[in-house]
Amino acid sequence: MKIQTNYFSWQTGLATLALGLGLIIGCGSGDKAADNGATPDATKSAATDTTATKRPAPTSPGVKPSGDTIKIGVIGSLTGDQKPWGEDSIEASKMAVKEFNDAGGLGGKKVELLVGDSASKAEQAKSAAEKLISDGVIGIVGEVASGHTIQIAKSAFPRAIPVVAIGATKTTLTDEGTHVVRVCYTDDLQGPVVAKFAYEALGLRKVGVMTDNKQPYSQGLSKSFSDKFKALGGEIVGESFYESGQTQFSGQITELKAKNPDGVFLSGYFTEVGPIAQQIKQAGLNVKLMGGDGWDSPQLLVSGGDAIIGSFFCNHYNNKEDRPEVKDFLKKWSGTHGGKEPGTTMAALGYDATKLMLDALKRASVAKKDYSSRDIIDALNDTENFPGVSGKITLKGNGGNPPKRALIVEVRSQADGFQVFRKAYEASEVTK
Amino acid sequence: MELSTLPQQLINGILLGSIYALIALGYTMVYGVLKLINFAHGEVFMMGAYAALFASWALGYTPNNALTGSNPVNLIVMLLASMTFCGLLGVFIERFAYRPLRTQPRIASLITAIGISLFLQYGGQLFLPSSPAPNIDGKVNPFIGNLEVTLAKGAGTSAAAAADIQSKAAVAQKSYDDWKLSHKGADEFNLPADGQALLNVKHDTDRAVRDLKDRGDSGSLKLSVPRGQFIMLVTTVILMGMLTYLVMFTKQGRAMRAVSHDFDAAALMGVNVNGIVTFTFLVGSALAGAGAMMSATFLSGTKIDTFFGMLPGVKAFVAAVLGGIGNIPGAVLGGLLMGVAETLVVWLGYDNYRDAIAFVVLIIVLLVRPGGLLGSSKVEKV
Repeated sequence: MKIQTNYFSWQTGLATLALGLGLIIGCGSGDKAADNGATPDATKSAATDTTATKRPAPTSPGVKPSGDTIKIGVIGSLTGDQKPWGEDSIEASKMAVKEFNDAGGLGGKKVELLVGDSASKAEQAKSAAEKLISDGVIGIVGEVASGHTIQIAKSAFPRAIPVVAIGATKTTLTDEGTHVVRVCYTDDLQGPVVAKFAYEALGLRKVGVMTDNKQPYSQGLSKSFSDKFKALGGEIVGESFYESGQTQFSGQITELKAKNPDGVFLSGYFTEVGPIAQQIKQAGLNVKLMGGDGWDSPQLLVSGGDAIIGSFFCNHYNNKEDRPEVKDFLKKWSGTHGGKEPGTTMAALGYDATKLMLDALKRASVAKKDYSSRDIIDALNDTENFPGVSGKITLKGNGGNPPKRALIVEVRSQADGFQVFRKAYEASEVTK
Repeated sequence: MELSTLPQQLINGILLGSIYALIALGYTMVYGVLKLINFAHGEVFMMGAYAALFASWALGYTPNNALTGSNPVNLIVMLLASMTFCGLLGVFIERFAYRPLRTQPRIASLITAIGISLFLQYGGQLFLPSSPAPNIDGKVNPFIGNLEVTLAKGAGTSAAAAADIQSKAAVAQKSYDDWKLSHKGADEFNLPADGQALLNVKHDTDRAVRDLKDRGDSGSLKLSVPRGQFIMLVTTVILMGMLTYLVMFTKQGRAMRAVSHDFDAAALMGVNVNGIVTFTFLVGSALAGAGAMMSATFLSGTKIDTFFGMLPGVKAFVAAVLGGIGNIPGAVLGGLLMGVAETLVVWLGYDNYRDAIAFVVLIIVLLVRPGGLLGSSKVEKV
C-alpha cells in the first residue's frame, strides 16, 4: 500500500512540475508576443517622427547629489555570455571617470563610479539598477544589450535618473522616457545599412533571416533589415527563429535551405551566430552571412571557425580611423592595457557614454547651483556636437537617438585583424 | 511547411533524439533501481561536455591553435575522458549525496538531486571557464563533409539554356576582371560608376547561375547528414547495443534487473545492492558523458557553459517518462520521439515552440498514459 501512495505522489509531483515549467515557458513567449505587438507602430512612429514627442518626461523632481562625492553608476555584464562587452565598457567607463577626476572633478568634488553586474540577464540588470539607485547615484551609464537597458530605464524613470545607453540599438528603447538617451546608432539605421550593402554591394536578391526570439534587439534588427531589403526590391525568402541558449539549429536551417537564399541575415548575438554559421556551412548552404553589431567580439572567430570568415556586419567605429578622438582613445587604452587595442567597440562606446554623462553633469551644475538628476536629463537632451570616439553626438531635437555613421566590416581571421573596414554609410544615406 | 523537407527533418530529429536517448537512459536506469529521479543527471551531462573540452585542450586544440587536421584517435580519447569522468562523477554523487538519504523518505533524495543540480550549475561558474563560453574546436573533428543520398532528381534546365547562362557568367566575370586589372588598387566596395556597372552585371549573371543550380535542387529530394553526426549516430547505436548486452546477458545485468524488480528481495537473495546501485550510476552517467562529448564536438562551435545540460536534461527526462520511466527500450524510443517532435514543430513553422513541445508532451503523457508508451501502467505490488 505504501508504495502505491508514493507512486501516485510522484505522478502528481511530475504533473505539477510540468505545469510549472510549462507556465515559465508560456510566460516567456507571452512577453515576446506583447513585445512583438508593440514593435510595429512604435518603430513606425520613431522612423517618421524624429522629434519623438511621445517620449514621456519623468515627473519626479529628481535626486540631488549627497555626500562628499557625486555618485554615478555603470552597469555591464561582468559574468555570462556578454562578459567581453561588459568588461570593455566598464573598463572604459572607469577610464573616463578617472580622467574627469584627474582634471579636477566637479568644482573640487570627485565623481565616484559604482559598478553593477547585469550578469548577461535582463532581470539582473534590473536589480543592479535598483541597487545603484538606492545607493544614491544621480545617473546610470549602460547597458550594451537592449533588453537589459529597457529594464534599467524602467527602474530609473520614477526617480528621474538619467540613463545613457552604451550599445543598446533597439529603436523603441528611447520611447521609455526622456531620461534615456544613447550614444550609438539605432536598429533603424543599422538594419537598413546592412540591407543596402547586401542589395547593392553584394548583389544579393533573396535573403533568409534568422532571429533570436529571446532578444528584443534581434527582433527589432530583423524587422528593420527586412523592411529596407524589401523596399529596395529584394525578397525575404523566409524567417526562422531560435532562442539564445539553443545549440542545435538543423531544423531551422533545413527549412531555410529549401528556399534557396543568396544570403542569410543573422540578427542575434555572437554567442549563437558562431555555431549557426558552422551548422549552415555543414548543411551545405554556401551563402553570404550578414549581421549587426551583436557580432562584435573576437569570440565570434572561436565559435564560428572558418565558417564565419568572409561574412559582413555593421559596426559603430573602427580602430583604424584617422580622427584625433579615436587615436587619443586608443593611446590611452593601450597605455593601461599592455599596448593592446580594445577587443570590442563597446569600449569606445562605454567611454563616450560616460564622458557624455559627465559632460551633462558639468553643464547642469554650471547652469544651476542646486541641480538635480532631472537637470542632467535636460542637459543630456540638449547635447550638440559632442566629440565622441565613435563620432559626433547630437541629441538636441533627435529624441535621444543621435544620427551616427555606420560601418560595414568584413570578418577576417585573427591574424588579419578580425574586422576589416569595407564601407561607411552616413545616416542621411539610408533613412527615408 | 514544405513536404519536400519532411524526410530531411525526420533525419535531423533522429540525430537530435539519439542524444536525448543517451541521456534518458541514465534517468531511466537510476529510476529503475532506486525509484529516484536523478535531477542532477543533466548537470552530469554538462560536466561531460567540459571533460571533453579539457581533453581537446590537452590534445592541443586550444582556442586559436595552429593545428590543421585531426584523426579519430583524438575523438576516442575525448569520448573516453568524458565517459570516465562522468561515470566517476555519477558514482561520487550517489555515494555522498543519495546513499546517506536512502532510508529517508524519497522526497529528501529528490530535493537533494535538485540541490546538486543547482550546485553544479552555479558553483561550476566559480571554477569552470564559462564567460565567455568556450567551445570545442571544430578542427578536432576529422569527419568533414556530408553523406548525401539523392532520392529523386529535380527537373533542372535544358543543357543548352544552362550552357548559355554559364557562358554569359564567364563573360561578365572576365570583363570585370579585366576592368580590375586596368584599375589596380580599386576598392571592391567603393567602386567608381563604370566598375560598379560591370560588377552589377557580374552579380546578375552569378545569380542566374545560382538559380540554375537551385532549379535543379528544389525539385530534387536529397537527404544529407554531416559525416560527424553520422558517426555520432553509429556510436550511439553501438553504445546502446553494449548496454542491452550488459543488462540482458551478464551477471551484473541480471543483478541489476533483480534490484529493479524488488530491492529488498534482491538484497535477501545475496545481491550486493550497493554495488549494483553504484554500477548503475556508473553506466548511466558514462552514457550521458558520451552524449555530451558527441553533441559538443559534432555540432561545431556549440558553446559550453554551466547551463549546457539544463534543456537537454529536461527534454531527456520527458523522453524517459514518455517511453515509460524505468524501461530501457522505452527511454531510447522516447528520446527519438522527442527529437523528431522537436524538429517537426520547426517543420510546421512554429520555431518558437521548439522547447515548449517537451512540456506539452509531458502533460499529455501524464494525463493519457501515465506509465509511458512501453511502461506498465499497472499499480506496483508490494
